[in-house]
Amino acid sequence: MLNIDGFAYTNRLKNVHPTEKAVFALLTLFLCLVFSSFTVSCLTLLLMTVVTVRRAGIPYRAYFRMMAIPFSFLVVGVLTIGITITTQRVEQEWLGSLTAAGVTFGVTSGSIIKAAELAGKSLAAVSCLYFLALTTPVVDLTAAMRKLRIPSLFIELTELTYRFIFVLQETAEDIYLSQSVRWGYSSLKNSYKSLGSLTATLFLRAHHRSGMIFTALTARGYNGQLSVLAPEYRVSTANILMITVVELLLLSVGVIAEVKGI
Amino acid sequence: MSIETGDWIIEACNLSYMYPDGTQALRGVSLKIPKGGKIALLGSNGAGKSTLFLHLNGILRPREGVVRFAGSDLKYDRQTLLELRKNVGIVFQDPDSQLFSASVYQEISFGPLNLGLPEEIVRERVETAMAATGTGEFRQRPTHMLSYGQKKRVCIAGILAMNPSVMVCDEPTAWLDPKNARQIISLFNQIASDGTTVIISTHDVNLAYSWADYVFIMAEGNIMGEGDPESVFRDEILMYKTNLEKPWLVEIHEILLKKGCFPADSSMPRNRDELYQLLRNNNMCRREEMLNDFNNIRDEGRERNNVTLGIKRL
Repeated sequence: MLNIDGFAYTNRLKNVHPTEKAVFALLTLFLCLVFSSFTVSCLTLLLMTVVTVRRAGIPYRAYFRMMAIPFSFLVVGVLTIGITITTQRVEQEWLGSLTAAGVTFGVTSGSIIKAAELAGKSLAAVSCLYFLALTTPVVDLTAAMRKLRIPSLFIELTELTYRFIFVLQETAEDIYLSQSVRWGYSSLKNSYKSLGSLTATLFLRAHHRSGMIFTALTARGYNGQLSVLAPEYRVSTANILMITVVELLLLSVGVIAEVKGI
Repeated sequence: MSIETGDWIIEACNLSYMYPDGTQALRGVSLKIPKGGKIALLGSNGAGKSTLFLHLNGILRPREGVVRFAGSDLKYDRQTLLELRKNVGIVFQDPDSQLFSASVYQEISFGPLNLGLPEEIVRERVETAMAATGTGEFRQRPTHMLSYGQKKRVCIAGILAMNPSVMVCDEPTAWLDPKNARQIISLFNQIASDGTTVIISTHDVNLAYSWADYVFIMAEGNIMGEGDPESVFRDEILMYKTNLEKPWLVEIHEILLKKGCFPADSSMPRNRDELYQLLRNNNMCRREEMLNDFNNIRDEGRERNNVTLGIKRL
């Protein structure tokens, strides 16, 4: 299992202001999406990889394993764009083709460029989000969301969901363990039965726990709003300056690439 | 401890409560909590301790009876309830049912923010509560990566930050190892020494005997007995009726008293050290013999630290 959550709390950039990190990731993502340029995508990918692995200290093995996850989806998507299938006998500039039973499969230079652009853009976009996910704990993200005046209902839901994923996971693990020590998963039939009762129990527990949480919140004067304070982070002028320079560079590269049509 | 009349912070008169499923949890409970005391509520599972606690904070409303806080009857309107919850904080038994936030800091700030305090004061209170409970060291860790004892301390910090005048803790030492339990108890002592009334529920008679100023014994939704620990735990009939055991100190004291080792009017030892002191004062045995005994116990590996401590002081 990839421990994204664990890295978020232990990486070397954990003390950097979450808004700085969010702005950096999202602005880069934005530029990368606006300029559909292969150069910008590659630069973004390189930039994010270096920052995540070198600056934040995420082990490169873990990072590349994470990058491999979208890769498999990407391959399928890119293949469908890269390979042109046609029944028309119109002569195209095939780089290579195969005709069978009146259907032509092949690649053209145009389709290859398009596919490469798409692959680059997707990986670059994913690397931006991974940077954010790996360096910024969810609690910091929601704190930044609060500052950005995102509706509190949305933020509270995010926070509660996040917290209770772990509680639910722990409960599920406990139930699974107690079932398996009693041979609950010894055969396929038993496994089906045990998994069913695990799911049912999990729902009941979740319901019960939500009641208890509500009681505990009420006892502390809950009035319909989960108002909390986040720890304060220091704003770093150096970081802001660096982000500005990097983004401006990326922007100019993008503009030049657009003009020259690379 | 001497308690003067009228010095009650919380009073409950004849409380009855039935859960929607028909369980009669409280059957006419009356109790008076002295201000600034260390109170233990003892009783076996299902005695109604937790239900009673939920009444003290206004979460549950009794079918019959009255709850009084600082002398005035509790009205169940928004403002009164909010005021009550500001003054009476509850630490629940299961920390996972109390911690709603993944961030230690956010969790602790929730209570004081609900009191409508300005941000700077809330931040100050969060820092103070974290320092008092020793939770500051893991402020950057999410709550799901904390150990059980650490979660418990975060829960206590969350209540402490509200500066309540009464702190109610449901089974604070349950599932804790001895070291963590000791830390929690010394934390309660510290909180109590600042003038906060601390009420805990427990099954642990030894803890209740050593720690509390005043003890209530509950069974089947009723208060079966109350008083200072010395008198309550010597009540054989009460102990028998409520399925509780005598604290070991009481038992030993009684045995030694029967053997004529102490004068009949000697005060009961409340902890290990007081027992050693008593033994020494009454020249019960010669020093060398005692050292021998203690060494034997120590060699058996039991209570190593406490015994050595006892010998050193003799």
